[in-house]
Amino acid sequence: MREKILYVLGALAVVILVWNINTIVPLPAERNQGVVFKIIFFHVPLAISAMLASGVALIASVMFLITKNFEYDALAVSVTEVGLALLAGNLVTGSIWGRQAWGIWWAWDARLTSALVCWLLYAGYLMLRNAIEEPTQRATFAAVFSIFAFIDVPIVIFSIKWWRTQHPQPVFWGGGSFPADWLPHFLWNMLAIALVAALMVDVRLRQEESQRELDSLRRMAHAI
Amino acid sequence: MITRLPLLFSQITVEDLQREAQRLQHDYTFLSYGLTAAWVITVIYVLMMVGRQRKLKQEIANLKAMLEEKSPSARAR
Repeated sequence: MREKILYVLGALAVVILVWNINTIVPLPAERNQGVVFKIIFFHVPLAISAMLASGVALIASVMFLITKNFEYDALAVSVTEVGLALLAGNLVTGSIWGRQAWGIWWAWDARLTSALVCWLLYAGYLMLRNAIEEPTQRATFAAVFSIFAFIDVPIVIFSIKWWRTQHPQPVFWGGGSFPADWLPHFLWNMLAIALVAALMVDVRLRQEESQRELDSLRRMAHAI
Repeated sequence: MITRLPLLFSQITVEDLQREAQRLQHDYTFLSYGLTAAWVITVIYVLMMVGRQRKLKQEIANLKAMLEEKSPSARAR
């Protein structure tokens, strides 16, 4: 049943993405930036999904430390890994957009730097997990690390409010503006990317289940 | 010359038009770079997951086979 739901959700995400790209292409070019502005339909949903993933990782990590239930640890690592891939997509699309809009690939401003630090912190989280063999110790250290890493997330989100940055103000809750008739296309893309992310988290969760099975088989093999 | 008349009246030169066309072309190129990058990252990540899944399945199957071989009932046979 779970697999059928997965396939249906995956097919739905692909249908939404393909249909939505077809509706985005004929939209008029933005007045100042031209058609390159349409990167926003991927750049922002990737960022929002990545930030949501880090929020879920925080909750799962706290829950693991409270309950010591390894399901929460599995959820934390799954969402962190998927969030890292989404944030990588956000950083790369942002850099390409910046090259055309500002004439530079990268600027060491507060938003871009804090987002890169966020990516490095969560990459560090995964490296830390790989470095520790003992499962309970690994999950505990990783949960504590994840809670500390989350401190960077509000800095990424509010950096454009707190400091003057090369990155523009947010289009939805700041000085920017977003055409009202573009909003449905944006929301559809947001939904499709969130669906893809949820699917990847589910697949990753299954891998964690397999990993636990493998660990127990290894223990049995050692015992014999 | 006749085709250039409207441009002369609106004070737009052919160079202006060429520059605008070039800018538009650049915009489309970078838009396609952005979309391609987003898809490539997703595909790479999915391929990494598929590879990991295959490795996990293989390791579990190997260990199960080894445990069955080593189990007392198997040895008694």
